[in-house]
Amino acid sequence: MKVKREFFRNLKELPTEELLAPGSPMCAGCGGLITLRLVLKVLGPNVVVVNAAGCLTMLAAYPYSPLRASWLYTTMGSAPAGAQGVRDALDVLIARGRLPASEDLRVVVLAGDGSTLDIGLSSMSGAIHRGLDFHYICYDNEAFGNTGFQGSSSSPFGSRTATSPAGTTQHKKDLFALWLAHRPPYAATVSAADPVDLAEKVRRSMQFRGPKLFVGLATCPPGWGIDPAQGHHVGKLALDTGIWPLKEAVHGEVRHTYVPDHLKPVEDYLQTQARFHHLFSPQRHDDILATIQNEVIGYWNEVRHREFPQTLLGELSRADLR
Amino acid sequence: MLRVRFHGRGGHGVKTASRILGSAAFCTGLQVQDSPVYGAERRGAAIAAFTRIDKQVIQERGLVLDPDLILVADETLFTDPGAALLAGVEFASVVFINSARDRVLLATEYGIPCPVVTLDLSTLTTDVVGRGASFSATLGTAACALAGITDRSVVSQAVQKELESLHLTPELIAKNVNAASQVLDHLSAVSIRERPQGHTASPIHPPIHLLGPEGTPVIYAPGNSARRHTGSWRVFRPEIDLNACTRCGICFAECPDAAIHLNEKAFPVVDYDNCKGCLICETECPVHCISEQKEVRT
Repeated sequence: MKVKREFFRNLKELPTEELLAPGSPMCAGCGGLITLRLVLKVLGPNVVVVNAAGCLTMLAAYPYSPLRASWLYTTMGSAPAGAQGVRDALDVLIARGRLPASEDLRVVVLAGDGSTLDIGLSSMSGAIHRGLDFHYICYDNEAFGNTGFQGSSSSPFGSRTATSPAGTTQHKKDLFALWLAHRPPYAATVSAADPVDLAEKVRRSMQFRGPKLFVGLATCPPGWGIDPAQGHHVGKLALDTGIWPLKEAVHGEVRHTYVPDHLKPVEDYLQTQARFHHLFSPQRHDDILATIQNEVIGYWNEVRHREFPQTLLGELSRADLR
Repeated sequence: MLRVRFHGRGGHGVKTASRILGSAAFCTGLQVQDSPVYGAERRGAAIAAFTRIDKQVIQERGLVLDPDLILVADETLFTDPGAALLAGVEFASVVFINSARDRVLLATEYGIPCPVVTLDLSTLTTDVVGRGASFSATLGTAACALAGITDRSVVSQAVQKELESLHLTPELIAKNVNAASQVLDHLSAVSIRERPQGHTASPIHPPIHLLGPEGTPVIYAPGNSARRHTGSWRVFRPEIDLNACTRCGICFAECPDAAIHLNEKAFPVVDYDNCKGCLICETECPVHCISEQKEVRT
């Protein structure tokens, strides 16, 4: 089940203008890069990107940049603070008549999950709390990908990272819930595997003033251990197994923008990636697999209760997986 | 001291190759040091790694700018000035290139002043280990052979140990050990030129601190990365059969690099100068009108 869309109904309606040139140093098949490319298409050319250190800071490696927009590089912990400075500077210049209002820019923070949930958490929280008028784009590859895939607090339970060779024992932090606790006007989860849903959400967010927060699942061929050609396929499996829910919250009111009619078993997703191979070989870890599966079923049962109380969507169980 | 420098692209396994050489030398009782260049490494981007081997404790540090051996995993890197493959080549005794081409031709084409040794590791690795496998075991073994470490049990042990630390499956490790053994069949030790008395590594230059616009790199040309031509990263090229194409736009929407654009009739066109060959377009094309062709460069 998909929700009705106002701005983009199909792929053909996506803007054809490219605001991200080819030739960046990102890995072939980078899920973070495709997310950024789609986001920028909708936001348009008048943006300034404030980039926290991470994989995507390598976008602009002197003397080359793939961005047609302005770009500023900050430390891993301070991109939202940098965005505040840029926003304030623009506001001051416009107020004093030193910059025509027509040259105003949208301020966009671009940060990975390590910056967002670990190193830059307080800076991000502060900027949202102050009501900074900006977009926040978190590309979530579920680890510190740039430095060799060390675990972050976004690494999913059971996944292998450079710092958890036998699988993480912690559970992934819920960034969306963390954002909602700050009461932003707009927050959403997106995936490049559903470009129309992503574009629609970015476009919807542009009508709000204040923090507009996005987290996109960024498939990572080297870190996740997938063939670059499979990136989009793995991203779709994350949606169809229910592991990566697509949702948005407008002034705190949550709705899911894609509710799978039938969930696929999480194993369909996990088995595509080397970072989960140890759960299947040399022997199966049924306990860990059951924990991951039950967490997903529990999540969607809660969604059904909350968002679709009047429908015939009954309680999900393992027997409903297909 | 023997100083070895490896060049390749992210994913080729040059860092692990430098470690395999280091481990093998260590197992024969020598002092070793190995390190990769840390920074912008990416799958497909130029990467270097270094191994130093000596009978004494190694005090030298940093990049190897005066290599005895240079090993190149991908000859297309010669055309990338940033990769600096031939930095310090005047010290080198041999340059090894993973290539099926004639070694004299390669030396002429790339202006290599010292002897060139070649072996087609790409074909060997693909045949023995499988498509998409990294060259870490075969390249590392090539370095061992050239450096005179030819004891099969030592090399196998080094390959085994380094690949185990990367959590490869036992089957994959066995294939790599097999491929490494075949490299030893083809390569032998080279004689390393003596260094002049009192040779030391290049001195360390203290950094110069500049303030403001002088000290901060600034790029004024938006979107100029298209001039980097990342198409050289590609192993397989996507070919679109426009007769079968339905203009659905999926390949255009899903290309991470914006290397596919739509022409005036909304047909997709691949920018081969920049397509990195991820082949998401081939996987996702609903009518299967995109096929992959092995990239051939001359």
